[in-house]
Amino acid sequence: MKLEGGKISSSQLTFLIIGFTIGSSVILSPGQAAGHDAWLAVLAGLGEGLFFAVIYTSLAARFPGKTLVQFNDLIYGPYLGKVISIGYLWFFFHLGSLVLRNFGDFFTSIIYPETPMVVFILLTALICASATRNGIEVIARCSIILLSLMLVTDLVLIILLLKDMEFTNLLPIFDLPLKEFIRASHSAATFPFGETVAFLMVIAFLNNVKQAKISTAAALTIAGMFLVTASVRNTAVLGIVATTATYPSFMAVRIIDIAHILTRLEVIVAIDLLAMGFLKISVLYYGTVLGMAQLLKLRSYLPLVLPVGALMVLLSILQFDSVTENIAFAFDIWPYYAIPFQIGIPLLSLIVAVLRGLPKKEGGSK
Amino acid sequence: MFQFIFNKMNFWRKFNKKNQNNKQNFKEDNSLQKKLSQPNLSQNLKENLKVLRNLLGQSNDIVFREFSFGYEGKINAALIFLDGMTDNATINESIIRPLMYDSYFLNTKNLEVINNIEFIEKRMLSVRSVKKVSNIEQVVDGCMSGETVLFIDGLNEALAISTQGWESRGVTEPKTEAVVRGPREGFTETLRTNTSQLRRKIRNHNLLMETIQLGQKTNTDVCIAYLNGIANPRLVEEVRRRLKRINTDSILESGYIEQFIEDGPFSPFSTIANSEKPDVVAAKILEGRVAILVDGTPMVLTVPMVFIESFQTSEDYYSRPYYVSVIRIIRFMAFFITILAPAAYVAVTTFHQEMIPTSLLITMAAAREGTPFPAVVEALLMGLVYEILREAGIRLPRPVGSAISIVGALVIGEAAVSAGLIGAPMVIVIAITAIASFVVPAQSDLAALLRILLTIFAGVLGAFGIIIVLLGTLVHLSALRSFGTPFLSPLAPLSFGDLKDVFIRAPIWAMLNRPRTIGWHDPQRQEFRLMPQPPENSERVKN
Repeated sequence: MKLEGGKISSSQLTFLIIGFTIGSSVILSPGQAAGHDAWLAVLAGLGEGLFFAVIYTSLAARFPGKTLVQFNDLIYGPYLGKVISIGYLWFFFHLGSLVLRNFGDFFTSIIYPETPMVVFILLTALICASATRNGIEVIARCSIILLSLMLVTDLVLIILLLKDMEFTNLLPIFDLPLKEFIRASHSAATFPFGETVAFLMVIAFLNNVKQAKISTAAALTIAGMFLVTASVRNTAVLGIVATTATYPSFMAVRIIDIAHILTRLEVIVAIDLLAMGFLKISVLYYGTVLGMAQLLKLRSYLPLVLPVGALMVLLSILQFDSVTENIAFAFDIWPYYAIPFQIGIPLLSLIVAVLRGLPKKEGGSK
Repeated sequence: MFQFIFNKMNFWRKFNKKNQNNKQNFKEDNSLQKKLSQPNLSQNLKENLKVLRNLLGQSNDIVFREFSFGYEGKINAALIFLDGMTDNATINESIIRPLMYDSYFLNTKNLEVINNIEFIEKRMLSVRSVKKVSNIEQVVDGCMSGETVLFIDGLNEALAISTQGWESRGVTEPKTEAVVRGPREGFTETLRTNTSQLRRKIRNHNLLMETIQLGQKTNTDVCIAYLNGIANPRLVEEVRRRLKRINTDSILESGYIEQFIEDGPFSPFSTIANSEKPDVVAAKILEGRVAILVDGTPMVLTVPMVFIESFQTSEDYYSRPYYVSVIRIIRFMAFFITILAPAAYVAVTTFHQEMIPTSLLITMAAAREGTPFPAVVEALLMGLVYEILREAGIRLPRPVGSAISIVGALVIGEAAVSAGLIGAPMVIVIAITAIASFVVPAQSDLAALLRILLTIFAGVLGAFGIIIVLLGTLVHLSALRSFGTPFLSPLAPLSFGDLKDVFIRAPIWAMLNRPRTIGWHDPQRQEFRLMPQPPENSERVKN
């Protein structure tokens, strides 16, 4: 039984994680609660995220070629392991629907006020479904092109915004109580860095498992640097508005005005959001259906793709009534909701695996 | 996405199954062997000729030339050949003349010797290639390919003498793929001429050409050409396997073969490249690709194809690299302009007016004032008109050309705008689109399809629609393979070394290796330090 025949290289994994981590952070800025120190919060969050990543990659390295769902069974036994796997599948599924919802919210509230949200969510989900059907190799191939597009446009936007930047907006540094700061940085760690837990479903298909640690760390660092620049850019351009705006990056890019010719380039942000969000949803979507197929011991995950996608679309439409609820969930509830999935269970799994001396050698296992 | 929809279309599968049931009838039809009561040649000349007259006799381009030769003309013989496919001079001077004239001088004693087929084959026929045949099927096959078959009374074997020679188009400069610098010759319709043109480019014994016959009715020669030791053996084997699978009645053009062996039959993207120029095909063979030459068409297929191949021309490598690199980037831009320009215009004017600078916005609004249609309808209408003009331009008889261009330019461009039917900016956009579509001719038909799709989505959903379609296309392209090579390579999956020939074209001396993705055999093309290094002091050389 081979559900996924594809293999990805370590550089592809790096690109994929960068794209995944940037994901919907193109518009939502993590660490926003820290005010003009948001960039510091992101840096601290990156540190915490790197710690998470070490746990994930150590786990993956212990069970080469096995996905999260498969090694949960080994660590916790067939029954408890399945319960935990179901929990994770829900987590990926829910996270996917959250990102989809971000799309819908963003497009309906900013660019297309008259169009129903379901149009955006449905079309995006369809594209992600086609990527998921084609497997991890195809998603990884897309990531390289989309990421280079994203990095180039982002660089252009920063250059165009240089004249509007006011770096005194960043002063004074560390102007808030430590407790607040830690809350903000933890929020940044759980969204987006800790979400890389989804890659426990993907690292299994890496052609060289030894490189997973370096790739993941490098990818998180690059993505973190990107988010720090975005955060600095937004604060420098917008000042105090950056802390209250729903979509600070979008607001900042709106200000661009070069000789009255290059104006209002916010569509570019929307394009970047679609490109990166597509990667994020595809990985989560893929993780969900693949995990489900492994859990149910199916021969192929293809029959699951469309039903899961339909449920994901439904959940993303039904779970919030407004943008504000969505943002409040992302910044206030998510940091606590994510703790067990992102740090609790992986850490526990690693400890249990070490204590039980897993994986056992061929002869030793029953 | 496309694949998913089509996979659900069971109709095609059923269609395929039905064909498989018909396979048996299909094969029988062709086999002469089973039809004949006596497949082998008999010793009696009259009998042989009777069988052949029954098989071929009705067509009047078949010539049965009966004659006798040897001492006092004791030996009866006959020649069978197709008039028009054979070279008359060879038949007259090298077959009939030695047999009838020279054998006259042999004496009686030699009569038995002459009647020996070995003797005739070895000593009398001054033709480059002669082979013995012993059954009717071989005789017919030989005749059909332009050979002349010599029957001699009393022998149950015949001689198939190669006398092929027919009217064919000479080597001319191809109409497509024009170059300013570089060889001007193009392939012709004759397979032998084409293979010789390839041989002249690559004079190497490792250049192998394997010929197989395809098409039950047409018996078309199809030739696989590759460089042994450089082409991946698995690739060659795969090409062979896919070609042998073809079981059809006719192959009239390489396009038939393309559709039988391509990887994505439901993909709008072509995964097999074609070219009309020997230097292009030779360069591809040297990169490790396999060429498929088909008799009867100058279009030669090469596999595997990658997407960026459409953006490369032979001239890129003959000119110096700097300007060429700029041109490469311009080609990419032109491709995106041709698929995106109308869609972007529609999206911006319908949904994202804020992106247009105010002064331009006012100009455009003034130009569009009073036009009856929304932008998307305008774009689709003008696109349709352009496609019609283009199609008419290809098919029309040459003398009518100027009339069409006047009608096109005046009526469509000028009159439509001044009558207030179409906004002037739209005409400009369509014109740019049309010009840009000729920059990348290999993808121009695909670009037309994508353009229509993108325009519709842009009219409905603006920039979001455009990006959705582009993302879908990207997913499809990433999933596509051509004979095992990912279609988007070397971009995705990324291989850094091969980027030397994508957006920029590195100097020839810097292109050390063959493309990694096409097969990684004998990778190094040249010595490492070939960068020109003039002596440090050029004065010294003069002394």
